[in-house]
Amino acid sequence: MAATSVGRVLTLCRQFQNAFRISTSLAVQQSALTLTKSQSYLDRLTYPLLSSNWHCHVGQCRPLHTTISRRGLEGFFDIPENWGEATVKSGAPWTAKQLRTKSNEDLHKLWYVLLKEKNMLLTIEQESKRQRIQMPSPERLKKIERSMKRLDTVVKEREDALRLLQTGQERARPGAWRKDIFGRVYWYRFREHALPWYMNKRYKRKRFYTPLFVTPHIRLRLEKHLRAKTRIQNKEREKQTVLQEKFPQIKAQSS
Amino acid sequence: MISCFPYRYPLYQIGNPQLRIFRPPFSLTLVRPGKEQPQDTVQFRIPMEMTKCDVRNYLEKIYNVPVGAVRTRIQYCTNKKRNHLNQKVKRPDYKVAYVQLAQQQTFEFPDIFTEKDVKSAEGSVEEMQEKFMEDEKQRQKPDLRRGGVTEWFGL
Repeated sequence: MAATSVGRVLTLCRQFQNAFRISTSLAVQQSALTLTKSQSYLDRLTYPLLSSNWHCHVGQCRPLHTTISRRGLEGFFDIPENWGEATVKSGAPWTAKQLRTKSNEDLHKLWYVLLKEKNMLLTIEQESKRQRIQMPSPERLKKIERSMKRLDTVVKEREDALRLLQTGQERARPGAWRKDIFGRVYWYRFREHALPWYMNKRYKRKRFYTPLFVTPHIRLRLEKHLRAKTRIQNKEREKQTVLQEKFPQIKAQSS
Repeated sequence: MISCFPYRYPLYQIGNPQLRIFRPPFSLTLVRPGKEQPQDTVQFRIPMEMTKCDVRNYLEKIYNVPVGAVRTRIQYCTNKKRNHLNQKVKRPDYKVAYVQLAQQQTFEFPDIFTEKDVKSAEGSVEEMQEKFMEDEKQRQKPDLRRGGVTEWFGL
């Protein structure tokens, strides 16, 4: 289970790294092109940051040449044509439905594209705060965050499905139902420790049993909860009777 | 694998395989240095969970930047400020990384917010408005022949 999925992801990573290595060798041959520019250029053409109507027209794409001294770090800034603009056009964020149609390799590459864009936007935001100027189009940050969250959701769905098919485990992180000091039952998620639990002093201070003097309070809490629940139900019933009296033609609402 | 917030590094014990993070949840912010830094030093704000090795691998693999040395520090931000309800408000702490580039490269933080000279099209409404505003300003200026004396002094 873990081996195959990890293996698959490792191959993804390797393919990704191979792509990088290949493009580095190309860059060595053609001194004008640098890695990140070609990679990000390809990425922007094939995997647009935003799904539709993005501003990657011919005139506004990042230039392929760059000075050697700032190689790579230009990924932290916008294209020079957008410096000093009040607003920068950007399209809609990726939806989960669109992301589910993409393959794992595509999602992996898209994650890095989104990450680099997020870094760029954070840099611009901090610089605008420093210079006390309004950041151009701050809604881009929210769009990127939502896209990344949805991508994460889709990847988690796929991992869950794979794990269920291969092992039958419902959760990735093991856990157990435990009772805390107040008698409430909750799902305790396991953590990684370097020691066994009986040697872990901090873990032993967190008691997973209810002391005897707490049991009467559990009953009182239950009574309070039931009282509140019946109060709500009675109120709802009274409201319905009042409505029926006032407006007899209305059909009684089924609870 | 777990690329959610807050990210916890899995426990490492001797003999474990090298940790690989796919889809890193960390984002860096390039900042302009407050104090004068050497030409090859770049300043970043990084999340608290990141380490120097993480920063190096991040920049080398994702941005293909040759990294020489990385030094980090944690900036403590104040808990002293109070809001309109007189409650203490904590400004979140952040970690700063000073990255020195290898291969004798230099980096200068560029000026992003340069004002561009906008010339409106001829015959358009904006051009007429600008001309009107300029004329108004000319009329408001005092008479130069008075030698800077205000009009309060009669005649």
